[in-house]
Amino acid sequence: MRSYRSKLDSDLPRWREAGWLTAEGEASIRKDVASHSRSLELAPALAIIGAVLIGFAAMSFIAANWDEVPRLARLALIFASLGTAYGIAGILFERGYPAFAHAAILAGVALFGAGIMLIAQMFHMDGYPPDAVLTWALGALGAGVVLGSNPALALAMLLMGLWSGWEMVESGVVHWPFLLGWGAVTAAFLWRWWVPSLHFAAVVLSIWIICLGYLLFDGHGHGVVVGVGLLIGAAGLALPSLSERWSAFSSPAFAYGMTIAFAGLFALQFVEKDVPLFGLILLAIAALTLVLAGIGFGLKTSSSAALWLGYGGFSLEVLALYFKTVGTLLGSSLFFFAAGFIVIALAAVAYRLHARMEAQS
Amino acid sequence: MRSERRNLWLGVAVVVAGQIGVLGWMVWDRVHLLSSGREIVLEVVPVDPRSLFRGDYVILNYDISRVEIPRGKKRLHRGSLIFSTLQKTKDGKWKLTAAGPERPESVGPDQVVLKGRVRFASRVARRGSNVATVNYGIESFFIPEGTGRELEKLVGQKKLAALIAVDESGNAALKGLIVDGARVYEEPLF
Repeated sequence: MRSYRSKLDSDLPRWREAGWLTAEGEASIRKDVASHSRSLELAPALAIIGAVLIGFAAMSFIAANWDEVPRLARLALIFASLGTAYGIAGILFERGYPAFAHAAILAGVALFGAGIMLIAQMFHMDGYPPDAVLTWALGALGAGVVLGSNPALALAMLLMGLWSGWEMVESGVVHWPFLLGWGAVTAAFLWRWWVPSLHFAAVVLSIWIICLGYLLFDGHGHGVVVGVGLLIGAAGLALPSLSERWSAFSSPAFAYGMTIAFAGLFALQFVEKDVPLFGLILLAIAALTLVLAGIGFGLKTSSSAALWLGYGGFSLEVLALYFKTVGTLLGSSLFFFAAGFIVIALAAVAYRLHARMEAQS
Repeated sequence: MRSERRNLWLGVAVVVAGQIGVLGWMVWDRVHLLSSGREIVLEVVPVDPRSLFRGDYVILNYDISRVEIPRGKKRLHRGSLIFSTLQKTKDGKWKLTAAGPERPESVGPDQVVLKGRVRFASRVARRGSNVATVNYGIESFFIPEGTGRELEKLVGQKKLAALIAVDESGNAALKGLIVDGARVYEEPLF
Protein backbone atom coordinates (compact mmCIF):
# COMPACT_ATOMS: atom_id res chain seq x y z
CA MET A 1 0.00 0.00 0.00
CA ARG A 2 2.77 2.37 0.92
CA SER A 3 4.48 1.84 -2.40
CA TYR A 4 1.22 2.61 -4.21
CA ARG A 5 0.83 5.82 -2.26
CA SER A 6 4.40 6.94 -2.85
CA LYS A 7 3.96 6.20 -6.55
CA LEU A 8 0.86 8.40 -6.55
CA ASP A 9 2.82 11.08 -4.72
CA SER A 10 5.22 11.26 -7.61
CA ASP A 11 2.62 10.75 -10.37
CA LEU A 12 -0.19 13.08 -9.26
CA PRO A 13 1.73 16.38 -9.47
CA ARG A 14 3.03 15.38 -12.90
CA TRP A 15 -0.47 14.58 -14.13
CA ARG A 16 -1.76 17.85 -12.69
CA GLU A 17 0.98 19.82 -14.41
CA ALA A 18 0.18 18.07 -17.66
CA GLY A 19 -3.32 19.38 -17.26
CA TRP A 20 -5.01 15.96 -17.02
CA LEU A 21 -6.10 16.52 -13.48
CA THR A 22 -7.57 19.43 -11.57
CA ALA A 23 -6.41 20.35 -8.07
CA GLU A 24 -9.77 19.16 -6.70
CA GLY A 25 -9.42 15.90 -8.58
CA GLU A 26 -6.01 15.33 -7.03
CA ALA A 27 -7.34 16.10 -3.56
CA SER A 28 -10.24 13.67 -3.96
CA ILE A 29 -7.96 10.94 -5.27
CA ARG A 30 -5.69 11.38 -2.26
CA LYS A 31 -8.67 11.32 0.08
CA ASP A 32 -10.02 8.15 -1.52
CA VAL A 33 -6.66 6.42 -1.30
CA ALA A 34 -6.27 7.44 2.35
CA SER A 35 -9.71 6.11 3.25
CA HIS A 36 -9.19 2.81 1.42
CA SER A 37 -5.64 2.08 2.39
CA ARG A 38 -5.19 -0.89 4.59
CA SER A 39 -1.59 -0.29 5.45
CA LEU A 40 0.00 -2.44 8.10
CA GLU A 41 -0.55 -0.60 11.30
CA LEU A 42 1.80 -0.58 14.20
CA ALA A 43 -0.75 -1.22 16.93
CA PRO A 44 -2.03 -4.63 15.75
CA ALA A 45 1.52 -5.75 15.01
CA LEU A 46 2.55 -4.77 18.52
CA ALA A 47 -0.53 -6.53 19.90
CA ILE A 48 0.48 -9.76 18.17
CA ILE A 49 4.04 -9.51 19.42
CA GLY A 50 2.69 -8.78 22.89
CA ALA A 51 0.47 -11.86 22.74
CA VAL A 52 3.45 -14.01 21.78
CA LEU A 53 5.50 -12.55 24.64
CA ILE A 54 2.71 -13.20 27.14
CA GLY A 55 2.55 -16.76 25.86
CA PHE A 56 6.26 -17.22 26.46
CA ALA A 57 6.02 -15.60 29.89
CA ALA A 58 3.22 -17.98 30.87
CA MET A 59 5.20 -20.96 29.66
CA SER A 60 8.41 -20.05 31.47
CA PHE A 61 6.52 -19.21 34.66
CA ILE A 62 4.79 -22.56 34.56
CA ALA A 63 8.02 -24.37 33.74
CA ALA A 64 9.83 -22.71 36.67
CA ASN A 65 7.15 -23.50 39.22
CA TRP A 66 5.88 -26.67 37.66
CA ASP A 67 6.92 -29.19 40.30
CA GLU A 68 5.26 -27.38 43.16
CA VAL A 69 1.88 -27.38 41.46
CA PRO A 70 -0.24 -30.54 41.77
CA ARG A 71 -1.07 -32.21 38.49
CA LEU A 72 -4.78 -31.49 38.49
CA ALA A 73 -4.07 -27.83 39.20
CA ARG A 74 -1.63 -27.78 36.30
CA LEU A 75 -4.27 -29.18 33.98
CA ALA A 76 -6.80 -26.67 35.27
CA LEU A 77 -4.29 -23.89 34.66
CA ILE A 78 -3.69 -24.97 31.06
CA PHE A 79 -7.42 -25.28 30.34
CA ALA A 80 -8.25 -21.97 32.05
CA SER A 81 -5.57 -20.02 30.18
CA LEU A 82 -6.81 -21.50 26.91
CA GLY A 83 -10.38 -20.46 27.69
CA THR A 84 -9.24 -17.01 28.79
CA ALA A 85 -7.32 -16.33 25.59
CA TYR A 86 -10.26 -17.18 23.34
CA GLY A 87 -12.67 -15.40 25.69
CA ILE A 88 -10.60 -12.22 25.45
CA ALA A 89 -10.63 -12.65 21.67
CA GLY A 90 -14.44 -12.79 21.74
CA ILE A 91 -14.69 -9.64 23.87
CA LEU A 92 -12.27 -7.77 21.60
CA PHE A 93 -14.24 -8.75 18.51
CA GLU A 94 -17.39 -7.48 20.19
CA ARG A 95 -15.81 -4.16 21.14
CA GLY A 96 -14.61 -3.66 17.58
CA TYR A 97 -10.89 -4.37 17.89
CA PRO A 98 -10.51 -7.23 15.42
CA ALA A 99 -6.73 -6.88 15.10
CA PHE A 100 -6.28 -7.30 18.84
CA ALA A 101 -8.80 -10.14 18.82
CA HIS A 102 -6.69 -11.98 16.24
CA ALA A 103 -3.66 -11.51 18.48
CA ALA A 104 -5.62 -13.11 21.33
CA ILE A 105 -6.61 -16.03 19.07
CA LEU A 106 -2.96 -16.49 18.16
CA ALA A 107 -2.11 -16.55 21.87
CA GLY A 108 -4.82 -19.19 22.34
CA VAL A 109 -3.37 -21.36 19.58
CA ALA A 110 0.10 -20.95 21.10
CA LEU A 111 -1.26 -21.99 24.50
CA PHE A 112 -2.85 -25.04 22.88
CA GLY A 113 0.58 -26.04 21.56
CA ALA A 114 2.16 -25.39 24.94
CA GLY A 115 -0.59 -27.49 26.53
CA ILE A 116 0.25 -30.43 24.26
CA MET A 117 3.91 -30.19 25.25
CA LEU A 118 3.24 -29.74 28.96
CA ILE A 119 0.83 -32.67 29.11
CA ALA A 120 3.29 -34.83 27.19
CA GLN A 121 5.96 -33.94 29.72
CA MET A 122 3.66 -34.37 32.71
CA PHE A 123 2.63 -37.85 31.70
CA HIS A 124 6.06 -38.93 30.43
CA MET A 125 4.77 -39.28 26.92
CA ASP A 126 7.89 -40.12 25.05
CA GLY A 127 5.99 -40.21 21.82
CA TYR A 128 6.62 -39.24 18.26
CA PRO A 129 7.10 -35.44 18.04
CA PRO A 130 5.67 -34.95 14.50
CA ASP A 131 2.33 -36.31 15.74
CA ALA A 132 2.25 -33.57 18.38
CA VAL A 133 3.02 -30.93 15.74
CA LEU A 134 0.20 -32.28 13.56
CA THR A 135 -2.23 -32.08 16.49
CA TRP A 136 -1.15 -28.50 17.05
CA ALA A 137 -1.56 -27.67 13.35
CA LEU A 138 -5.08 -29.11 13.32
CA GLY A 139 -5.94 -27.06 16.41
CA ALA A 140 -4.68 -23.91 14.69
CA LEU A 141 -6.65 -24.78 11.53
CA GLY A 142 -9.82 -25.38 13.54
CA ALA A 143 -9.50 -22.09 15.42
CA GLY A 144 -8.69 -20.24 12.18
CA VAL A 145 -11.71 -21.61 10.32
CA VAL A 146 -14.26 -21.36 13.13
CA LEU A 147 -13.23 -17.88 14.29
CA GLY A 148 -12.26 -16.62 10.84
CA SER A 149 -8.73 -15.76 11.88
CA ASN A 150 -6.08 -15.33 9.20
CA PRO A 151 -3.09 -15.31 11.61
CA ALA A 152 -4.21 -18.64 13.08
CA LEU A 153 -4.49 -20.11 9.56
CA ALA A 154 -1.01 -18.84 8.71
CA LEU A 155 0.32 -20.55 11.84
CA ALA A 156 -1.51 -23.73 10.78
CA MET A 157 0.30 -23.66 7.42
CA LEU A 158 3.64 -23.09 9.13
CA LEU A 159 2.98 -26.03 11.45
CA MET A 160 1.93 -28.28 8.55
CA GLY A 161 5.29 -27.51 6.95
CA LEU A 162 7.09 -28.21 10.21
CA TRP A 163 5.17 -31.48 10.62
CA SER A 164 6.05 -32.71 7.15
CA GLY A 165 9.63 -31.50 7.36
CA TRP A 166 10.12 -33.31 10.65
CA GLU A 167 8.56 -36.51 9.25
CA MET A 168 10.84 -36.40 6.21
CA VAL A 169 13.96 -35.71 8.28
CA GLU A 170 13.02 -38.55 10.63
CA SER A 171 12.21 -41.11 7.97
CA GLY A 172 14.12 -39.97 4.90
CA VAL A 173 11.17 -40.88 2.67
CA VAL A 174 8.52 -38.74 0.98
CA HIS A 175 5.74 -37.68 3.30
CA TRP A 176 2.62 -37.80 1.14
CA PRO A 177 0.08 -37.02 3.92
CA PHE A 178 1.47 -33.47 3.79
CA LEU A 179 -0.61 -32.89 0.66
CA LEU A 180 -3.80 -33.52 2.66
CA GLY A 181 -2.80 -31.11 5.43
CA TRP A 182 -1.58 -28.52 2.93
CA GLY A 183 -4.78 -28.89 0.93
CA ALA A 184 -6.94 -28.41 4.02
CA VAL A 185 -5.18 -25.18 5.05
CA THR A 186 -5.05 -23.89 1.47
CA ALA A 187 -8.79 -24.52 1.11
CA ALA A 188 -9.28 -22.37 4.21
CA PHE A 189 -7.04 -19.67 2.68
CA LEU A 190 -9.10 -19.74 -0.52
CA TRP A 191 -12.32 -19.60 1.45
CA ARG A 192 -11.04 -16.50 3.26
CA TRP A 193 -9.70 -15.18 -0.09
CA TRP A 194 -6.61 -13.82 1.59
CA VAL A 195 -4.06 -13.28 -1.17
CA PRO A 196 -0.77 -13.04 0.82
CA SER A 197 -1.58 -16.35 2.48
CA LEU A 198 -1.97 -17.99 -0.92
CA HIS A 199 1.60 -16.95 -1.67
CA PHE A 200 2.62 -18.46 1.65
CA ALA A 201 0.85 -21.70 0.71
CA ALA A 202 2.61 -21.67 -2.67
CA VAL A 203 6.02 -21.14 -1.03
CA VAL A 204 5.45 -24.04 1.40
CA LEU A 205 4.30 -26.34 -1.42
CA SER A 206 7.24 -25.30 -3.62
CA ILE A 207 9.71 -26.17 -0.87
CA TRP A 208 7.99 -29.52 -0.42
CA ILE A 209 8.15 -30.28 -4.16
CA ILE A 210 11.84 -29.31 -4.27
CA CYS A 211 12.46 -31.68 -1.32
CA LEU A 212 10.95 -34.52 -3.41
CA GLY A 213 14.09 -34.44 -5.54
CA TYR A 214 16.22 -35.35 -2.55
CA LEU A 215 13.91 -38.15 -1.37
CA LEU A 216 12.56 -39.91 -4.47
CA PHE A 217 14.66 -42.60 -6.16
CA ASP A 218 17.20 -42.68 -3.34
CA GLY A 219 17.78 -38.95 -3.59
CA HIS A 220 17.99 -38.78 -7.40
CA GLY A 221 14.52 -37.49 -8.11
CA HIS A 222 15.45 -33.99 -9.26
CA GLY A 223 14.22 -34.72 -12.77
CA VAL A 224 10.73 -35.16 -11.34
CA VAL A 225 11.05 -31.74 -9.70
CA VAL A 226 11.96 -30.16 -13.03
CA GLY A 227 8.96 -31.85 -14.69
CA VAL A 228 6.52 -30.77 -11.97
CA GLY A 229 7.89 -27.22 -12.04
CA LEU A 230 7.53 -26.98 -15.83
CA LEU A 231 3.98 -28.35 -15.61
CA ILE A 232 3.05 -25.74 -13.00
CA GLY A 233 4.65 -23.01 -15.12
CA ALA A 234 2.79 -24.19 -18.23
CA ALA A 235 -0.46 -24.33 -16.26
CA GLY A 236 0.22 -20.75 -15.18
CA LEU A 237 0.60 -19.66 -18.82
CA ALA A 238 -2.55 -21.53 -19.82
CA LEU A 239 -4.68 -20.18 -16.97
CA PRO A 240 -5.91 -16.90 -18.55
CA SER A 241 -7.38 -18.73 -21.56
CA LEU A 242 -9.08 -21.30 -19.34
CA SER A 243 -10.81 -19.19 -16.75
CA GLU A 244 -11.32 -15.50 -16.23
CA ARG A 245 -11.62 -15.81 -12.48
CA TRP A 246 -8.26 -17.52 -12.04
CA SER A 247 -6.32 -15.43 -14.51
CA ALA A 248 -4.81 -13.40 -11.68
CA PHE A 249 -2.99 -16.59 -10.64
CA SER A 250 -1.31 -16.91 -14.03
CA SER A 251 1.86 -14.97 -13.42
CA PRO A 252 2.47 -16.19 -9.81
CA ALA A 253 1.94 -19.81 -10.93
CA PHE A 254 4.41 -19.30 -13.77
CA ALA A 255 6.98 -17.77 -11.40
CA TYR A 256 6.61 -20.57 -8.82
CA GLY A 257 6.75 -23.24 -11.51
CA MET A 258 9.91 -21.77 -13.00
CA THR A 259 11.52 -21.46 -9.57
CA ILE A 260 10.75 -25.12 -8.80
CA ALA A 261 12.07 -26.24 -12.19
CA PHE A 262 15.20 -24.15 -11.70
CA ALA A 263 15.79 -25.67 -8.24
CA GLY A 264 15.54 -29.13 -9.81
CA LEU A 265 17.93 -28.25 -12.62
CA PHE A 266 20.31 -26.69 -10.14
CA ALA A 267 20.36 -29.89 -8.08
CA LEU A 268 20.88 -31.99 -11.23
CA GLN A 269 23.94 -29.91 -12.07
CA PHE A 270 25.51 -29.27 -8.70
CA VAL A 271 24.09 -31.70 -6.11
CA GLU A 272 24.25 -34.89 -8.19
CA LYS A 273 27.72 -36.38 -8.29
CA ASP A 274 29.57 -37.41 -11.43
CA VAL A 275 27.57 -35.43 -13.95
CA PRO A 276 29.21 -35.95 -17.36
CA LEU A 277 30.52 -32.77 -18.93
CA PHE A 278 28.20 -32.94 -21.90
CA GLY A 279 25.20 -33.44 -19.61
CA LEU A 280 26.30 -30.52 -17.49
CA ILE A 281 26.50 -28.26 -20.53
CA LEU A 282 23.02 -29.26 -21.67
CA LEU A 283 21.60 -28.76 -18.19
CA ALA A 284 23.32 -25.39 -17.86
CA ILE A 285 21.87 -24.26 -21.19
CA ALA A 286 18.43 -25.43 -20.02
CA ALA A 287 18.79 -23.61 -16.70
CA LEU A 288 19.97 -20.39 -18.35
CA THR A 289 17.14 -20.54 -20.90
CA LEU A 290 14.69 -21.04 -18.06
CA VAL A 291 16.10 -18.10 -16.14
CA LEU A 292 16.07 -15.86 -19.19
CA ALA A 293 12.49 -16.92 -19.96
CA GLY A 294 11.65 -15.89 -16.39
CA ILE A 295 13.33 -12.49 -16.90
CA GLY A 296 11.56 -12.08 -20.22
CA PHE A 297 8.22 -12.93 -18.65
CA GLY A 298 8.92 -10.48 -15.82
CA LEU A 299 9.69 -7.70 -18.31
CA LYS A 300 6.69 -8.48 -20.47
CA THR A 301 4.16 -8.63 -17.63
CA SER A 302 6.05 -6.01 -15.58
CA SER A 303 6.15 -8.46 -12.70
CA SER A 304 9.03 -7.36 -10.54
CA ALA A 305 8.92 -10.62 -8.54
CA ALA A 306 9.52 -12.73 -11.68
CA LEU A 307 12.25 -10.31 -12.73
CA TRP A 308 14.10 -10.53 -9.45
CA LEU A 309 13.69 -14.29 -9.26
CA GLY A 310 15.17 -14.42 -12.75
CA TYR A 311 18.13 -12.21 -11.86
CA GLY A 312 18.71 -14.16 -8.66
CA GLY A 313 18.54 -17.48 -10.49
CA PHE A 314 20.90 -16.23 -13.17
CA SER A 315 23.49 -15.07 -10.63
CA LEU A 316 23.18 -18.31 -8.69
CA GLU A 317 23.56 -20.44 -11.80
CA VAL A 318 26.56 -18.54 -13.10
CA LEU A 319 28.27 -18.50 -9.72
CA ALA A 320 27.71 -22.23 -9.19
CA LEU A 321 28.95 -23.02 -12.69
CA TYR A 322 32.02 -20.92 -12.03
CA PHE A 323 32.90 -22.91 -8.91
CA LYS A 324 32.11 -26.19 -10.64
CA THR A 325 34.21 -25.47 -13.71
CA VAL A 326 37.25 -24.00 -11.94
CA GLY A 327 40.11 -26.28 -12.82
CA THR A 328 38.14 -28.64 -15.05
CA LEU A 329 38.75 -29.62 -18.65
CA LEU A 330 36.27 -27.10 -19.86
CA GLY A 331 38.00 -24.18 -18.20
CA SER A 332 36.12 -21.28 -16.72
CA SER A 333 37.04 -18.73 -19.35
CA LEU A 334 35.83 -20.94 -22.17
CA PHE A 335 32.64 -21.55 -20.26
CA PHE A 336 31.95 -17.87 -19.72
CA PHE A 337 32.71 -17.20 -23.34
CA ALA A 338 30.13 -19.81 -24.35
CA ALA A 339 27.61 -18.57 -21.81
CA GLY A 340 28.02 -14.97 -22.93
CA PHE A 341 27.61 -16.04 -26.54
CA ILE A 342 24.41 -17.96 -25.76
CA VAL A 343 22.92 -15.06 -23.80
CA ILE A 344 23.67 -12.61 -26.60
CA ALA A 345 22.18 -15.02 -29.15
CA LEU A 346 19.04 -15.29 -27.04
CA ALA A 347 18.94 -11.49 -26.76
CA ALA A 348 19.09 -11.23 -30.53
CA VAL A 349 16.22 -13.70 -30.90
CA ALA A 350 14.19 -11.77 -28.33
CA TYR A 351 14.87 -8.52 -30.18
CA ARG A 352 13.75 -10.02 -33.48
CA LEU A 353 10.55 -11.37 -31.93
CA HIS A 354 9.83 -8.03 -30.31
CA ALA A 355 10.41 -6.16 -33.54
CA ARG A 356 8.14 -8.56 -35.42
CA MET A 357 5.39 -8.11 -32.86
CA GLU A 358 5.73 -4.34 -33.07
CA ALA A 359 5.48 -4.52 -36.86
CA GLN A 360 2.36 -6.67 -36.64
CA SER A 361 0.60 -4.30 -34.31
CA MET B 1 -26.16 -8.10 14.67
CA ARG B 2 -27.62 -10.29 17.38
CA SER B 3 -27.14 -13.47 15.38
CA GLU B 4 -23.60 -12.36 14.48
CA ARG B 5 -22.87 -11.98 18.16
CA ARG B 6 -24.33 -15.37 18.94
CA ASN B 7 -22.25 -16.91 16.16
CA LEU B 8 -19.11 -15.32 17.54
CA TRP B 9 -19.60 -16.76 21.00
CA LEU B 10 -20.71 -20.09 19.57
CA GLY B 11 -17.44 -20.14 17.62
CA VAL B 12 -15.40 -19.28 20.70
CA ALA B 13 -17.17 -22.03 22.64
CA VAL B 14 -16.57 -24.58 19.86
CA VAL B 15 -12.84 -23.77 19.65
CA VAL B 16 -12.31 -23.80 23.42
CA ALA B 17 -14.29 -27.02 23.84
CA GLY B 18 -12.50 -28.63 20.90
CA GLN B 19 -8.98 -27.77 22.05
CA ILE B 20 -9.66 -28.62 25.69
CA GLY B 21 -11.28 -31.80 24.42
CA VAL B 22 -8.11 -32.78 22.54
CA LEU B 23 -5.89 -32.06 25.55
CA GLY B 24 -8.33 -33.84 27.86
CA TRP B 25 -8.37 -36.84 25.55
CA MET B 26 -4.55 -36.98 25.67
CA VAL B 27 -4.71 -37.05 29.48
CA TRP B 28 -7.58 -39.56 29.61
CA ASP B 29 -5.85 -41.86 27.13
CA ARG B 30 -2.70 -41.86 29.23
CA VAL B 31 -4.47 -42.29 32.56
CA HIS B 32 -6.51 -45.11 31.08
CA LEU B 33 -3.34 -46.81 29.83
CA LEU B 34 -1.59 -46.44 33.19
CA SER B 35 -4.55 -47.63 35.23
CA SER B 36 -5.90 -50.45 33.11
CA GLY B 37 -2.97 -51.49 30.94
CA ARG B 38 -1.34 -54.84 31.54
CA GLU B 39 1.63 -54.55 33.89
CA ILE B 40 4.94 -56.00 32.85
CA VAL B 41 8.38 -55.58 34.37
CA LEU B 42 11.37 -55.03 32.09
CA GLU B 43 14.95 -55.12 33.29
CA VAL B 44 16.90 -52.01 32.52
CA VAL B 45 20.22 -52.61 30.81
CA PRO B 46 22.76 -51.46 33.38
CA VAL B 47 24.73 -48.35 32.56
CA ASP B 48 26.86 -46.11 34.71
CA PRO B 49 24.38 -44.79 37.29
CA ARG B 50 26.12 -41.45 37.23
CA SER B 51 25.21 -40.92 33.60
CA LEU B 52 21.83 -42.50 34.24
CA PHE B 53 20.66 -39.72 36.56
CA ARG B 54 22.52 -36.89 34.97
CA GLY B 55 19.60 -34.61 34.31
CA ASP B 56 16.12 -34.42 35.64
CA TYR B 57 15.16 -37.37 33.59
CA VAL B 58 16.69 -40.77 33.19
CA ILE B 59 17.27 -42.55 29.91
CA LEU B 60 16.47 -46.22 30.14
CA ASN B 61 17.78 -48.91 27.83
CA TYR B 62 16.23 -52.33 27.58
CA ASP B 63 17.13 -55.65 26.02
CA ILE B 64 14.21 -55.13 23.70
CA SER B 65 15.58 -51.79 22.49
CA ARG B 66 17.70 -53.64 19.92
CA VAL B 67 15.73 -56.01 17.79
CA GLU B 68 16.42 -58.17 14.80
CA ILE B 69 13.76 -57.88 12.13
CA PRO B 70 13.41 -60.36 9.30
CA ARG B 71 13.69 -58.57 5.98
CA GLY B 72 10.30 -58.37 4.36
CA LYS B 73 8.60 -56.37 1.69
CA LYS B 74 8.50 -53.20 3.73
CA ARG B 75 11.65 -51.11 3.82
CA LEU B 76 12.59 -50.00 7.28
CA HIS B 77 13.46 -46.41 7.92
CA ARG B 78 13.58 -44.08 10.84
CA GLY B 79 10.13 -43.79 12.30
CA SER B 80 8.77 -47.09 10.87
CA LEU B 81 6.41 -48.88 13.20
CA ILE B 82 7.70 -52.07 14.82
CA PHE B 83 5.69 -54.60 16.78
CA SER B 84 7.70 -56.58 19.32
CA THR B 85 6.22 -59.67 20.93
CA LEU B 86 7.31 -60.43 24.49
CA GLN B 87 6.83 -63.77 26.20
CA LYS B 88 6.64 -64.27 29.95
CA THR B 89 9.20 -66.84 31.03
CA LYS B 90 8.93 -69.24 33.98
CA ASP B 91 10.95 -66.98 36.27
CA GLY B 92 8.52 -64.13 35.60
CA LYS B 93 10.76 -62.19 33.25
CA TRP B 94 9.63 -60.89 29.89
CA LYS B 95 11.75 -61.85 26.91
CA LEU B 96 11.58 -60.75 23.30
CA THR B 97 10.45 -63.54 20.99
CA ALA B 98 9.70 -61.80 17.72
CA ALA B 99 9.67 -58.38 16.10
CA GLY B 100 8.43 -57.17 12.77
CA PRO B 101 6.73 -54.35 10.90
CA GLU B 102 3.31 -56.04 11.09
CA ARG B 103 1.19 -56.59 14.16
CA PRO B 104 1.12 -60.30 15.01
CA GLU B 105 -2.26 -61.87 14.29
CA SER B 106 -2.59 -63.91 17.45
CA VAL B 107 -1.17 -63.22 20.88
CA GLY B 108 -0.98 -65.89 23.60
CA PRO B 109 -2.10 -65.29 27.17
CA ASP B 110 1.52 -65.10 28.30
CA GLN B 111 2.47 -62.68 25.57
CA VAL B 112 2.25 -58.93 25.08
CA VAL B 113 2.88 -56.89 21.96
CA LEU B 114 4.71 -53.57 22.25
CA LYS B 115 4.44 -50.94 19.54
CA GLY B 116 7.63 -49.02 18.84
CA ARG B 117 9.28 -46.89 16.23
CA VAL B 118 12.65 -47.45 14.58
CA ARG B 119 15.28 -45.02 15.74
CA PHE B 120 18.18 -46.47 13.77
CA ALA B 121 18.05 -49.26 11.23
CA SER B 122 21.19 -50.88 9.96
CA ARG B 123 21.23 -51.29 6.21
CA VAL B 124 23.59 -54.22 6.34
CA ALA B 125 21.77 -57.49 6.01
CA ARG B 126 22.80 -60.01 8.59
CA ARG B 127 21.49 -63.48 7.98
CA GLY B 128 18.68 -61.90 6.01
CA SER B 129 17.58 -59.62 8.80
CA ASN B 130 17.90 -56.03 9.87
CA VAL B 131 19.08 -54.87 13.24
CA ALA B 132 17.15 -51.89 14.50
CA THR B 133 17.18 -49.72 17.57
CA VAL B 134 13.58 -49.23 18.61
CA ASN B 135 11.90 -46.64 20.83
CA TYR B 136 8.76 -47.74 22.63
CA GLY B 137 8.05 -44.43 24.36
CA ILE B 138 9.27 -45.80 27.68
CA GLU B 139 12.87 -44.70 27.38
CA SER B 140 12.84 -41.50 29.36
CA PHE B 141 11.53 -40.99 32.83
CA PHE B 142 11.27 -37.51 34.28
CA ILE B 143 12.12 -37.33 37.97
CA PRO B 144 11.36 -34.43 40.30
CA GLU B 145 14.03 -31.75 40.08
CA GLY B 146 16.95 -32.25 42.45
CA THR B 147 16.17 -35.87 43.34
CA GLY B 148 18.51 -37.36 40.77
CA ARG B 149 21.37 -37.77 43.29
CA GLU B 150 19.10 -39.40 45.81
CA LEU B 151 17.95 -41.94 43.29
CA GLU B 152 21.53 -42.44 42.16
CA LYS B 153 22.52 -43.38 45.72
CA LEU B 154 19.48 -45.58 46.07
CA VAL B 155 20.27 -47.53 42.95
CA GLY B 156 24.02 -47.80 43.45
CA GLN B 157 25.00 -51.17 42.10
CA LYS B 158 21.56 -52.66 42.50
CA LYS B 159 19.42 -53.94 39.71
CA LEU B 160 17.05 -51.45 38.13
CA ALA B 161 13.84 -52.47 36.41
CA ALA B 162 10.95 -50.55 34.92
CA LEU B 163 7.27 -51.11 35.54
CA ILE B 164 5.43 -50.78 32.24
CA ALA B 165 1.73 -50.61 31.43
CA VAL B 166 0.72 -51.92 27.99
CA ASP B 167 -2.69 -51.61 26.33
CA GLU B 168 -4.29 -53.86 23.71
CA SER B 169 -2.96 -51.85 20.78
CA GLY B 170 0.61 -52.10 22.05
CA ASN B 171 1.05 -48.59 23.45
CA ALA B 172 3.34 -48.64 26.46
CA ALA B 173 3.76 -46.25 29.37
CA LEU B 174 6.33 -46.11 32.14
CA LYS B 175 4.53 -46.61 35.41
CA GLY B 176 7.46 -46.58 37.79
CA LEU B 177 10.94 -47.78 38.63
CA ILE B 178 11.82 -50.89 40.59
CA VAL B 179 15.08 -51.15 42.54
CA ASP B 180 15.92 -54.69 43.71
CA GLY B 181 12.29 -55.69 43.58
CA ALA B 182 11.00 -52.67 45.52
CA ARG B 183 8.89 -50.08 43.74
CA VAL B 184 10.21 -46.53 43.81
CA TYR B 185 8.82 -43.51 42.00
CA GLU B 186 5.49 -44.93 41.10
CA GLU B 187 3.71 -42.72 38.62
CA PRO B 188 0.70 -40.92 40.14
CA LEU B 189 -2.35 -40.85 37.91
CA PHE B 190 -3.06 -37.18 38.49
